Amino acid sequence: METTMNPSPQTLPFKFHGKSGEYFRIWIVNVVLSILTLGIYSAWAKVRNKRYFYSNTELDGSTFEYLANPIAILKGRLLALGVFAVYMVTVWFFPLSELVFVLAFIAGLPWLIVRAMTFNARNSAFRNIRFDFNSNYLDAAKVFIGIPLLVMLTLGLAYPYFAYRYRDFLINNSGFGTTGFDFDAQAKHFYVIYLKAFGALLLLGLLVAVALPALIPEVQSAGQLPNQELPVQGPQLFLMMLPLLVIFPVYMLIGTYIHTATLNTAFNHAYTTGQRFSSNLKVGKMFWIYLSNFVAVLLSLGLLIPWAKIRIARYRLENLALQTADNLDGIIAAEQQRVKATGEELAEVLDVDLGF
Amino acid sequence: MAPTSTPEGGTDVDARYYDGRTSGATAVRLSFRHCGRVTLTGAAQSADYKLEDLDISTRIGDTPRLIGLPDGGKCEVSDNDTIDRLLKKQAANRGSWLHTLESHYLFVMFAIVVTIAASTMTFRYGLPWLAERSAHALPQSVDRSLGKGTLDILDRSLFSPTTLEPAIQARLDRRFAEMITTLPAGRDYRLLFRTGNNIGANALALPAGIIVMTDELVAASENDDELVAILAHEIGHLEHRHSIRMAMQSSAVALILAAISGDVVSSSSLLVALPTVLIHSSYSQEFESEADDYAWHYLVDNSIPTGSFASILTRISAEGGDSVVSQYLSSHPGTHERVQRFIQ
Repeated sequence: METTMNPSPQTLPFKFHGKSGEYFRIWIVNVVLSILTLGIYSAWAKVRNKRYFYSNTELDGSTFEYLANPIAILKGRLLALGVFAVYMVTVWFFPLSELVFVLAFIAGLPWLIVRAMTFNARNSAFRNIRFDFNSNYLDAAKVFIGIPLLVMLTLGLAYPYFAYRYRDFLINNSGFGTTGFDFDAQAKHFYVIYLKAFGALLLLGLLVAVALPALIPEVQSAGQLPNQELPVQGPQLFLMMLPLLVIFPVYMLIGTYIHTATLNTAFNHAYTTGQRFSSNLKVGKMFWIYLSNFVAVLLSLGLLIPWAKIRIARYRLENLALQTADNLDGIIAAEQQRVKATGEELAEVLDVDLGF
Repeated sequence: MAPTSTPEGGTDVDARYYDGRTSGATAVRLSFRHCGRVTLTGAAQSADYKLEDLDISTRIGDTPRLIGLPDGGKCEVSDNDTIDRLLKKQAANRGSWLHTLESHYLFVMFAIVVTIAASTMTFRYGLPWLAERSAHALPQSVDRSLGKGTLDILDRSLFSPTTLEPAIQARLDRRFAEMITTLPAGRDYRLLFRTGNNIGANALALPAGIIVMTDELVAASENDDELVAILAHEIGHLEHRHSIRMAMQSSAVALILAAISGDVVSSSSLLVALPTVLIHSSYSQEFESEADDYAWHYLVDNSIPTGSFASILTRISAEGGDSVVSQYLSSHPGTHERVQRFIQ
C-alpha cells in the first residue's frame, strides 16, 4: 500500500468493492436478528448495512467510514414511534386535530431535514475527517415550505426549480472538514431535464394513442365483464395487465431518465476549491439495472434485494470520479459536535426521502 | 502485503495513517508485539501504544479495519485475518460474533428459513389475526364512515335503478327482514336493488351495512331460497367486518413492503403494489370462505337446503369456468371448490 503524494491534476475514480454473496449474508443476518428482537436490532442493522457500503467505497486508496451510534438511532426510532402513536390516538379521539398535526408536521419538516442531513454528514468520515452539514431552520423552510407552495401555485411549473433548490441546499451546506462544497448548477439545467422528460412522455403518449386502436376490439370485448363472482378471464386479464405492460415501463423509463440526469447534474456541478466531481451515468444502463433488479426482487420474493443493491451501488460509484488539481491531503478537520439521530429517524418513519 | 514476523516474535502489518487533523495519508507499519504493545513506524514518525488502548473497528465483510489511536489518529488496515488473529488473543474482541454468524453458512441458511417462515406467518396469520382483533374492538360506526360514499359512486358509475316488480321486491325485503331478526340487536343492515349492468348477476356488501342485489341475480334465481343463500353470504361479510379488516391488512402489507424494499429500484411503488395485489387477493379469498361458512351455518340452522347456494353459484358462473392463472388474481376461490360442501 502506497501513499498518493501526486501533486499534478488528476482524475481519481471511486471504486466499489462490495460483493453480493458477502452482502447477502450480512443482510439476512440483519433481517433475522431484527425479526428475533422484534425490531430493536434494526438500529444496529442499519449501521452495519451502511458501514458495509461505506467501507467498500474507495477513493484514492482510502475507504469511507460510517460512525453513527446505533443507540442514537434506536432512540430516534422510539421517539418517532411515540410521536406516531400520539398522533394516531389523538386523531382517533379528536378527528379535527388531524389538521393541527399536519400543520405541525409541515412546520417541523425543515427542522427534521436539517437534523437528518447533519446527523448523516457528521457520522460519515473519510481519512479520519468527518463530513459536515450546516444550515438553519429559516433557510430550510424557504426550500421545503416556501418553494413547494410556489410549485402548487404554478400548478407544477416550478417543480424543476424546486429540484434545483433542493440540490443546491444539500450541496452548498455540506462540507468535508473545514472545506465547504459549492454548487454551480442553475435552475435552467433542471428545467432542461424536465422538459425533455415531458417531451418524451408526449411522444410516447402519441405512440400509444396510435397503437391502441389496433387493440380496441380486444378491449371492448373485455369491457363487458359478465359477472364479478367469476374468476378473471383471458381478455379481462389482458386488460388488467395492459397498464403494467405498457404504462409501467414508460413510467419507469422516464423516472429513470429524470433520476439519472439529476444525479449527473448534481455531481457535475458540485465542487470545492481544487476539486470537482464528475458523474457519467447512462440512462439506458440505469434503466436496465432498475428493470432487472425489479424483476429479480419480485421473482425471488425479496431474497435478491442484496444483489440488487450491490449492483446499483457499483454502477453509480464506478461512474463517479473526483477531479482534483492537487492531491487530497490538504483538507483540514473541523471541530465536531455530536448530533442526535432524531431527525433522520423521524424522517424515515414519516417517509421523507432525504437521499438525492 | 503478508504480515511479517519480527525477530522479537510479533506481527507487522502495513497500514495507512490519518492524523485526524488533515486529510493526508501516510504509509506506516504497525508492529504488534507479544508483550501487548503496538509500535507505529512511518517515514517521519514513531509511536508506541498499548494494544488495549486501541479502538479497532469490528469486522464487516472483508472491508478494511480502522484502528483508532489514543491521540486521535487512525490507521486503516486491509489485512483482516491478521487483525482477527491478534484480537483472538485479546479478551475484548467485541462485536466479532456478528462476523462469525455472517460467515457461518449453516446460520445463514437458518436465517433464510426463519425470515421466510416469519414473513409467511406474519402475512398469513399475524396480520389477519391482529386486524380481526382490532376490528372487533372498534364500533361498527367506523365501518360506516369507511364506506360512506361507496354507494353514490357505484350508482353513478355502475348501477342503474332497479326494474324489479315491487311485489318481488317486497317479497325479498320480507325474507331479508326475517334474516336480520336472528342477528344481535343494533344491526341496521339494508337491502337495495339495482340493475347491475356490467357486473351482471351479482350481490355486494358495502361497509355502510348496505347489501346491493342486482336484478340480473334475481332473474337468474329459480327460487327465493337461492337468493336467501346469497344474502346470508353477504351478511357474513358484514358480520365478520371484512371491509375494515381488509383496509387494515392491506395498508399494513403495503407499509411493511415499502419499509423493506428500500431503494432497490428508482421507484419502489410498483415493487410494493404487485405483491400487495397478490396478498390482497389471498386475503380476499379467505374472507369469501368465511362468508361461505356463515352462509352454510345460516342455511343449516334455518333448515334451508344448502344446495340452494350451490345451484345459484353454479348457474351464474356457468358462462365462465376457472382457469389456473385466474385463480391467483381472483378475489373468490374457484366455484367448484366453493360449492362442494353445499352439495353434500
